[in-house]
Amino acid sequence: MSRQPVIIDADPGLDDAAAILMALASPEIDVLGLSIVAGNVPLQDTVANACKIVGVSGRTDVPVYAGAAGPLVREQVFGKYARIGAFSDDLVARSDITPSEEHAVRFIVRSAREAARAGEPITICAIGPMTNLALALIQHPDVALGIRQIVSMGGAFTALGHRTPWAEFNVLADPHAAEIVYRSGVPIVVMPLDMTFQALFTAEHFKSFSARGGAAGCALYNLFSTFDRSDIARFGRPGGPIHDATTIAWLIRPELFTSRKATVGTQVTGLTMGYTYADFYHKMDRTPNATVVTDVDEAGFINLLIERISLYGSAAPGPKTPGG
Amino acid sequence: MTPIPIIVDCDPGIDDTIALLTAFVSPELEILGITPVCGNQPLERTVRNALQVCELGRRTDIPVYAGCFRPMLREPIFGQFHGKTGLGNTVLPEPVKTVEPKSAVDFLIDILTAAALKKRITICCLGPMTNLAVALRMNPQVAEGIERIVMMGGAYREPGNRTMTAEFNVLADPHAAHVVFSSGIPIVALALDATHQVMLKPEHVAEFSNVSGRISQTLAELMAFWDRNDVRRYGSRGGPLHDPLVIAYLLAPHLFTTERARVFVEHESELCMGQTIADWYGKSGLEPNADIVTKVDAEGIIALFLDRLSRYAEKAVA
Repeated sequence: MSRQPVIIDADPGLDDAAAILMALASPEIDVLGLSIVAGNVPLQDTVANACKIVGVSGRTDVPVYAGAAGPLVREQVFGKYARIGAFSDDLVARSDITPSEEHAVRFIVRSAREAARAGEPITICAIGPMTNLALALIQHPDVALGIRQIVSMGGAFTALGHRTPWAEFNVLADPHAAEIVYRSGVPIVVMPLDMTFQALFTAEHFKSFSARGGAAGCALYNLFSTFDRSDIARFGRPGGPIHDATTIAWLIRPELFTSRKATVGTQVTGLTMGYTYADFYHKMDRTPNATVVTDVDEAGFINLLIERISLYGSAAPGPKTPGG
Repeated sequence: MTPIPIIVDCDPGIDDTIALLTAFVSPELEILGITPVCGNQPLERTVRNALQVCELGRRTDIPVYAGCFRPMLREPIFGQFHGKTGLGNTVLPEPVKTVEPKSAVDFLIDILTAAALKKRITICCLGPMTNLAVALRMNPQVAEGIERIVMMGGAYREPGNRTMTAEFNVLADPHAAHVVFSSGIPIVALALDATHQVMLKPEHVAEFSNVSGRISQTLAELMAFWDRNDVRRYGSRGGPLHDPLVIAYLLAPHLFTTERARVFVEHESELCMGQTIADWYGKSGLEPNADIVTKVDAEGIIALFLDRLSRYAEKAVA
């Protein structure tokens, strides 16, 4: 099977770390680069974190690009649970990796236009606010043509929000960017809170990261052990979601998920800014722009993530030989 | 005197064309680049028109960089007074000059953040401000390289020209206008309040036609097409000299009276989308961010343009 060319657009972030490490260990995926955006924490921290994640992965061939430092139109908001900020050296080892000179938006524009010319469109996993992607899509029509699909972690439909009562963080942080992406004509796969809340990771799972996953697994264990993500009142049982990693799992094992087609959009003004809707019952008479993932096989997803992180322990993943 | 380095961000457009032709023959201005954007016409057409206008003005030395092909968030809207091609009924030869491989956004970022930049650059905005907004959002340091923005757009005490409340350039990309007006960069705003004071009347067109030498036929055609023929709205025949006033402001600021105020751009209400609001009396508690032109010496402006565009006659002799 040929490997899928993928750009991961991220704001690391704990979940982002899990998603990026999962992708870098997966032979099905060819990570062209990490385009980094401000989100959970300011840009300089998300970029530093991305460099450290690449460092512990051993995949020093994967470039990191710094992108937009803030949202397009609204004032900046950061993550409510972003207690960590820049990953300290005792959590994730220091790395001498530095970001590329090229801007993340230029990298996306260049990669997508090359992909359009070659007729081999790329996939983008968008696991932060979608500012970089929106800035790329505005610049040239070939950018949309060069993107096969955007797999976006963001939004909340029946689950309601986690940053405000009505909004999921990535969309809330840049609703204008989200709306630009939703309306871009590129096929969108939406991984909303409704689905990510179904797969809860507990301390036992984090322990298996460190027991089996080498340096990368230990780093993930350290990050996820810094605070308890469980929310019994909301989830009814212990454990917390790792939202962003679902995008990578969807690319590798789509059969673990259930989805429906819908028209998806977001509110860009007013009190409910960042509220996302999905027209599951075709009330808007529009051709659906998105595949909304509604359910996940919890055990299947958790096992897949642990299995991929374990590859960092079983063989040293080095440049160009992810997963050994 | 060293010339003022400028970049002309535009969407040609008949009035953009008059502005460019004037700038071309003004040694006070050093045009570093032209960055057409989607606006009066789709991008493909504004780029083509810019190339043709460079050839018409024999300024093929000025690089043209293609800008954004759509507004940030809203669906594109196009101008209503520029004909099918953006240049009225005027047909210019197929351009030989080609667009630069670099995009307008990359050009703006590269030149405005260059360590070697000795003198800050003035940005002349004659269209929707998408290019500048995208550049600022990609790299906030871009603001450091800008001396000031002289922009045509908005309507304060004057009603809109595309909707009841909105002027075309701001309505076409209100989010971009909001980004630019929130940037902290000094802005000179030439809104409809100013541009409606300078009507290019049929008798002026005849004068321009007489003096402008080798471009006279084309110029007269473009100017004649520009006549709104709407005395009720404008108080006379003719068309408002929107975009050229940006160039006139740089050449002869003494012909303009300005008032400082905080400007807000409506980008949320569908009814008033693109409306520009000036805080004339300090109600917002925020510092002014723009010098809004309130009065223009119309006769002085017409004389200035006649003087400049007559240089195309001298060139033909030379």
